[in-house]
Amino acid sequence: MPFISPRYRDRVDRDDRTVGPGIEVTSGPGRSEVDLVLEAMDPDGVRPAEAIAARNLSLCFADKHIVSEVSVGFPRGTITALIGPTGCGKSTFLRTLNRMNDRVPGFARQGDVVLDGESIWAPSQDLLNLRRRVGMVFQRPNPFPMSIRDNVVAGVRAHRIAKGKQLDVVAEERLRQVGLWDAVKDRLGDSPFRLSGGQQQLLCLARALAVGPEVLLLDEPTSSLDPISTELVEELLRSLTPALTLILVTHNLGQARRTSQHTMFLYQGRLVEHGPTQDLFERPKDPDTLHYVTGRIG
Amino acid sequence: MSSRRRRIADWAFRVFTVAALVAVVGPVLWVAGGVVARAIPHWRWTVLTTTTNGASGGLLNAILGTLVLMAGVLAIAGTVGVLGGVYLAELAGTGRRGRPRGGVLRSATEVLAGVPSIALGLVGYLALVVQFHWGFSLLAALLVLSVMVVPYIARGTETALRQVPTAYREGAEALGMPTGYALRTVVLRSAVPGIVNSLLIALAISGGETAPLLYTAGWYTGTPKAALFHQPIGYLTYPVWTFWDYPSNQAHYLAFDAALILLVLVLLLLVAARLVVNRSQRHAEVRQR
Repeated sequence: MPFISPRYRDRVDRDDRTVGPGIEVTSGPGRSEVDLVLEAMDPDGVRPAEAIAARNLSLCFADKHIVSEVSVGFPRGTITALIGPTGCGKSTFLRTLNRMNDRVPGFARQGDVVLDGESIWAPSQDLLNLRRRVGMVFQRPNPFPMSIRDNVVAGVRAHRIAKGKQLDVVAEERLRQVGLWDAVKDRLGDSPFRLSGGQQQLLCLARALAVGPEVLLLDEPTSSLDPISTELVEELLRSLTPALTLILVTHNLGQARRTSQHTMFLYQGRLVEHGPTQDLFERPKDPDTLHYVTGRIG
Repeated sequence: MSSRRRRIADWAFRVFTVAALVAVVGPVLWVAGGVVARAIPHWRWTVLTTTTNGASGGLLNAILGTLVLMAGVLAIAGTVGVLGGVYLAELAGTGRRGRPRGGVLRSATEVLAGVPSIALGLVGYLALVVQFHWGFSLLAALLVLSVMVVPYIARGTETALRQVPTAYREGAEALGMPTGYALRTVVLRSAVPGIVNSLLIALAISGGETAPLLYTAGWYTGTPKAALFHQPIGYLTYPVWTFWDYPSNQAHYLAFDAALILLVLVLLLLVAARLVVNRSQRHAEVRQR
């Protein structure tokens, strides 16, 4: 039995449900496979349907309002695209969801963000564990200056989820999950910076997935990648649902349409429109949304 | 601007940069060549294995003494300097308007770096050797040398840490790594070249310093004893400074031998530092030198 710390054991139980393999999925009438997986993840039906939600959230730096009174829920097991022109507050909003802005000078907030029914700022909330549960991938791939293998397990080590030989197992499992294993299996000890940009971003995804997050925040994860790498990443993102809840900030409207079930449109710090992706793109209710998705503002 | 003027400006710039290079490299070669040329003709390997006897004999006592002093400085000043640098760069935080805190500490290190070494030596002599009754001793020498080089190490460490890409810190933060853990496993790793370079300068200074050691270490012709107090210690700069004035060829030879050995020591330090840096940088994004 490989070492798994007691602190993590209950997480493993929970994650087993989220990961999927051990789940018995019996299809029945009127229920999609996604529903079944979601049910298997939450057999008692106690988890809120929204993995994470913002409630009346306003954010500002010093005296500058960046986000105003945004209320939005992110349904469990789906991808929500967050679109809007540069400077509309997308990134600030996203970074707030795992409290990356807390220590930025001048940052102030009103309202709340609720993860699994509990405020992320609740005193009982352990910040480090919150960030384990709500992972983040950045615009530019940012592997650490250590070997490829050590990159994948960096978070696993920090949270003492596994150690020793088990780390190799975790590394292989996650590299396979992101489709990088065959490319790097013979050079796990090499520098990650010799990989292509797309491979580096996949490595960062593997690193983020290795700690078993429930929600993954993606800040324009493909904007520095070529089209083929972009497609690989998008494919991977789709494969992560419904086990994970994904929030994807993107400037690429095609990407939003291809990958997400829901889309929210932020404009000048306000949530202009939010709904199923197809509706938002094809039957936008708000004129600003129409202008943006048709390329008249951007 | 005409193309003719541009070409002249370009040519002048080239000449100036080459001249500057010569101005740097020339003296180094001159000094090194001069020392080697004067030391080699009468070189005896027994210099490395015998101790000083009056103003003749060998330099074993001085070589070991200098190595002990360097190791001691590395331990004391290295620890204090690196931790101080980490504090200034990582923990002091930012004050109002995002300006880095720790200004008093930073100015203090700058002032300290500006104090002439002979003044530090005198203070060390009066306070440690005389007032504390330590006598000429290893500890007095180590403390004075450490005080001298801590500013270089702290500043070098701080600068190196400030150059670590934000992306590493953000990535570590987003993974939920505790700040101290991220510092040790991710951030410090890419600051290693800068830190090692500052340690190298500190060691070279403590190996090559004379004035404060005359005041605190005294001089000793036996191999170093394991005693912190009341026990003077030999070092390589002493023969260079003192024996040169002696009216004997033996003494002059020893002075040049000591200078040569110091040069070789510094060279070995450079090589060792490069090895450490290369090893720490094998997974680096941009290879640093």
